[in-house]
Amino acid sequence: MPLLNSVYRQREAGKPLVTLDDYRAAGGYQALPKVLAEMDPDDLQYEFMRSGLRGRGGAGFPMGKKASFLPKDSQRPKYVVCNADESEPGTFKDREIMEFNPFQLLEGITLAGYAIGAVRGYIYIRGEYEHQARVLDRAVAEARAAGLLGTGLFKSTFDFDITVYRGAGAYICGEETALLESLEGKRGQPRLKPPFPAVAGLYHSPTLINNVETLAALPPIVEKGADWYAGLGTEKSPGTKIFCVSGHVMRPGNYEIVLGETTLRELIFVHAGGLRPGRRVKAVWVGGSSVPPLGEQHLDTPLDYEALAAAGTMLGSGGCIVMDDSGSVVRTTLRLVTFYRHESCGKCSPCREGTSWMEKLLQRIVDGQAGPDDLEMLKALFGRISGRTLCPLAEGAVGPVRTALELFPDDWADALENGVPVPEPMLPVSS
Amino acid sequence: MTADQIREYLEPRRHEFADPRSLVLPALKFAQTGRGYLTREDMEAVAEATGYSASYVESVATFYDRVYTEPVGTRVVSVCVSMSCQLRGADQVWEALCDKEGVDHHHGGTSADGRITVQEAQCLGYCDRAACIQVDAEETQGPHTPDSARALVDELRAAPDPDEYWR
Amino acid sequence: MADYARVDLDAENQVTFELNGRQVSAPAGTMLVDACYAHGVEVPIFCYEPRIGPPVGACRMCLVEVEGMRGLQTACSTPVRPDMVVRTDSPAAKDGQEGVLEILLMNHPLDCPVCDKGGECPLQDRSFKFGGGKSRFFEGKRHFPKPLELSSRIALDQERCISCFRCVRFSQEVAQDGQLTMQERGVQSQITTFSGDAYEDRFTGNIIDVCPVGALTSIPYRFVARPWDITNTPSVCGLCPVGCNTELTLRDGDVKRVTGRPDPNYEVEEGWLCDVGRWGFDGDGGITRLTRAIVRDANGERHTDLTDAVAAATVALRGASKPVGVLLGATATVEEAAIALELAGGALAGARVARLGIPAAPLAALRATPRAQLDEIERADLVAVVGGDPGLAQPITELRMRKAVLRNGARLVTIGSRPGTLADVATHVHAAPGALTAAVAELAAQIGATGRPVVLWDEAELAAEPAAAEALAEAVSANGATRQIELGADVNGAGLRALGIPATGLLEALEAGELGALLTVRADPRSAPGRVAWEAALEGDVPVVALATHADRTTDAATVVIPVQSLLEQEGTLVSMTGRAQRVRRGAEGPAGAAPGWEVLIALGHHLGAPPAYRTASAALAAAGGRYAGIEGLTYDAMGVGGVELPRPAADHLAADAGPARAAGSDGLALVATRDVYGGREASRAPALAAFHAPAAATVSPATAAALDVTDADTVTLTSPYGAASLPVRIVDGLSDDAVFVTLGTADAAAEALMPPDRGPVRVGVSVEARR
Repeated sequence: MPLLNSVYRQREAGKPLVTLDDYRAAGGYQALPKVLAEMDPDDLQYEFMRSGLRGRGGAGFPMGKKASFLPKDSQRPKYVVCNADESEPGTFKDREIMEFNPFQLLEGITLAGYAIGAVRGYIYIRGEYEHQARVLDRAVAEARAAGLLGTGLFKSTFDFDITVYRGAGAYICGEETALLESLEGKRGQPRLKPPFPAVAGLYHSPTLINNVETLAALPPIVEKGADWYAGLGTEKSPGTKIFCVSGHVMRPGNYEIVLGETTLRELIFVHAGGLRPGRRVKAVWVGGSSVPPLGEQHLDTPLDYEALAAAGTMLGSGGCIVMDDSGSVVRTTLRLVTFYRHESCGKCSPCREGTSWMEKLLQRIVDGQAGPDDLEMLKALFGRISGRTLCPLAEGAVGPVRTALELFPDDWADALENGVPVPEPMLPVSS
Repeated sequence: MTADQIREYLEPRRHEFADPRSLVLPALKFAQTGRGYLTREDMEAVAEATGYSASYVESVATFYDRVYTEPVGTRVVSVCVSMSCQLRGADQVWEALCDKEGVDHHHGGTSADGRITVQEAQCLGYCDRAACIQVDAEETQGPHTPDSARALVDELRAAPDPDEYWR
Repeated sequence: MADYARVDLDAENQVTFELNGRQVSAPAGTMLVDACYAHGVEVPIFCYEPRIGPPVGACRMCLVEVEGMRGLQTACSTPVRPDMVVRTDSPAAKDGQEGVLEILLMNHPLDCPVCDKGGECPLQDRSFKFGGGKSRFFEGKRHFPKPLELSSRIALDQERCISCFRCVRFSQEVAQDGQLTMQERGVQSQITTFSGDAYEDRFTGNIIDVCPVGALTSIPYRFVARPWDITNTPSVCGLCPVGCNTELTLRDGDVKRVTGRPDPNYEVEEGWLCDVGRWGFDGDGGITRLTRAIVRDANGERHTDLTDAVAAATVALRGASKPVGVLLGATATVEEAAIALELAGGALAGARVARLGIPAAPLAALRATPRAQLDEIERADLVAVVGGDPGLAQPITELRMRKAVLRNGARLVTIGSRPGTLADVATHVHAAPGALTAAVAELAAQIGATGRPVVLWDEAELAAEPAAAEALAEAVSANGATRQIELGADVNGAGLRALGIPATGLLEALEAGELGALLTVRADPRSAPGRVAWEAALEGDVPVVALATHADRTTDAATVVIPVQSLLEQEGTLVSMTGRAQRVRRGAEGPAGAAPGWEVLIALGHHLGAPPAYRTASAALAAAGGRYAGIEGLTYDAMGVGGVELPRPAADHLAADAGPARAAGSDGLALVATRDVYGGREASRAPALAAFHAPAAATVSPATAAALDVTDADTVTLTSPYGAASLPVRIVDGLSDDAVFVTLGTADAAAEALMPPDRGPVRVGVSVEARR
């Protein structure tokens, strides 16, 4: 099925939309004045709810419902926080929105802000995206100069501004309460919940946190109507979703598809150009590295939340990492666990210590220094770590290992026998 | 970086935050632009400018990978080693750069002439250009091979020092 | 146990739920861990410490099963709900607890045999009780350099740390010194200070008490004893008038360690101690400790035994042709004071008894107003400190005030001549020395406007301004909800006053030649305020019998010196500044040549031919409890482990105990004599507290320094109508101008030389003695 560039308006326009004029020429900033003139915040929230838009950061929680959790009677200021800490391995969709379509994100944040009665929006962008942060800085300045941010937007009584806040290199800050801690100038360690951010988020105030892609989806929803959006895709997975395809494919890149219409096979073989000649798919981490991998047998799974869940994985962030049959999942699994060990914030003991334990075990397996007992120990560790922590990071570290053991027993048997050699990499396609 | 310079940088941003603690991270990042890493004096200046203790400032600084509390090279070259890049030769790029700069293959490090720090990075969000390399935090490029990575470092070594260090 | 919060099972709003198959109840809002503990079910914890703050849920040790909730829950952060069904001992819950322990022990070095914490270690105990019994971790453990000196008093072993965050939270949220933080991330996380600097502050030792493993240990206690070598005795700190409840660790007849009570006294110290209270015991020994009695006569000076010394004392006292004076020091116990009073009524009939301290009359009205214990500070919406610098003089009150501000959002106002240690959390209202009355009037208006004010007032500074004391008494009484807490100057001042002992009269009688001999009990008048007058009055041939623990100016000149046991060594009762009678217990054996003060006084009674009817401290107290209204009915049983609050004195109590009216005058600079337990004599004797040792100084504001044309480290001579002293200059921001600040209780007793015995307002002239 073809792509549908709704969030990726720049692709539809055929050029980057980094100036206000270009964004407007491409149809941008039509939603906001319409909303401010015609809708009250509750109507707008209802519109979000009806669209069926789900959070695109990984958890897939309905966006309108999340917004409705904010207490209406709170005396405290409310905030919108845009989670732009895109750090999930294999995920690079938000980067492209911020770099080439920044105003659509600003418009989306402003719409969300109006819907909940927020006084300010924050874009928490990972420190490594300095380039994109500067694009956003310029876009915010331009929007402010044009009266699209500030006081009395479009002659309404709605005051709203946006702050671009840079992180400094910590994956855990993608977890929403860790993000809030970091935005408050602290170490980015997840909070105990409840209270949830909707009730006591940034500065203990009611806070709506959504991913870049989620918020950037709002202007088209308002422009074309919630019905239009809800009509795309499946009943439970409406709308479009960007998949970032990387790894052993010929055309790695971002592809915005209509949920449920496209299979994993189409994504890999039609949109992303397939594999190197003579190679077969071995494993696909379809929603970022934190989700359990799928195997070749799952390629005909439609890409939507429910179908992927039924296949034993999650849609997650849409970071689809493809690995062909040239190497062993044991080595990639070690790399994943090293990542989680490095990014564990250190607060919960099962995660802090457990990821380190798993890494040490896996390193011995890769080095050919392990026996079957070690594999059993590894399995025993899952239950020691999983489900026993404040945030899902530990689960992200365990899930892919567990599934890799189940789906690819030959790779593990091989590793115990011989260790795992470094495979020949797939060379760059072209610069 | 002096406390006054940091204050001057923070002043226009102060109104954006209900709690001044939010200024600690921007202050650290700004303080780092002067030298490329933070000295004890830099952290004390951040503490003075923000009103939090130096120990607190350091605890925040050391939580984040891109705030450096030890000296690093004139340019910091981050080699992404996460899975997408690993599948496309990141390990080979890493080995090549460690060899070229004569630094530890496990932890990376700074070349003897102090010009280049080679470090591993977790996913940089440029998986479509794997294997990718980031120079400081400003420019991410790829796909790289060992050869192109070596050429990049040669270019960086010859280039003039940056005016500001955003890492 | 301090680990768990108190649960009031008799409170209203009880919630009933099922715990391991039993129906139990706890007040709504109680965390499950605490409710379980209150019902005899221990759910293991490490990071949870309700005294430090709300739960953080980091260690994950307290996993339990709650029916209807997915997965295991942390009992530390789950409040009780009606009809919830909780299992702490189901296979799933046990697996959760066992799993977390296995994970925690993974990187923990199993060096218990050489670890100071071994045997009294929560990690060790809980591993035995809740753990799986063996490790399956065969990888290399994490290594850190060790052990590190976190400070001169605390050792840090990072390998043993389980990252429970208790210590860093104590530093950040309780002491709020900002120094101790967690640095790095993940498995490399470690507790440290800025750039590894020494963790030097005033409450640091508490992190040792809260550490659930052997990561933080006391350097003076390092390798001194194993838990099976020691016994622990509950006692009370005798170093300031707060009366913090302590626990003494004893081995071989010696106090080896002082810690906070495992079962804290929430009305007093809440289980925290200041570093002087924790390590000051060290100063009980040392070269100035009196170990043998001394008798000085025409033949010179001889060391002797106690029996001989008591006989010599008897001769000295009985030989006096005029009445005897009995002078009680601030640390004289209630028992000692009561026996002295009894001697004065019998064996030494006609004796005049007084205490070294502040006259009571100017403060009587204020003391009669509604009083609070320290826990009331937590419930206040406005906390006002009138005069003084409690963080230095009554240290543990500072933590309570910080808690009120940080955790409960109370407003804190300090009023006086210096911002003090609370400056970062308080609004400081400046009042120059002598100008408290106006500031109190302003405070009175604020008190009227709030709901639950607590006013802490400094005994010394309000005694020096009787008008302010009177105004404050009115302000406190005006609003029925207001409570006051006295920031006392003297350790057992309240106990001595409760027996009706005045601060005035004795010196005057001595000066008038009306007294024939002086008996001092833990009193050193030659180092006390008014010391110049005392020295003058003691010139000549008035024999002095001194009961003392350490050599001082008085024992150096006394006719008979009888070594007595310290407050770590003998039984006794102290009354805290909030009117709490509490027991100090015999811990150390003390020097062989010393006896309990009360026993020496009883012996004197026997020698003087009028023996008291009791032979023990407890009987002496019981007898006194039957005689003096201020301590009516007081016995050791009544005090129990946590002490008992005595009735407030009446407004006319000790009405005659007033110094002469003094006009402060306007020449020179106002003298402010401050108390600082960290800079005091007791602290200066303790080697463990070396980091606090600093020379006494004349401290002035920058403006005053400029006006005087002096800089730091110049030396000045201060001259008052009562004496003179030379001190180096120190310059500190924020102090009242036109005032000189000096510290009481330092070894050289310089401040005391400038003051009258009643400590009333003093002004000093300043001349430069030496330039740097």
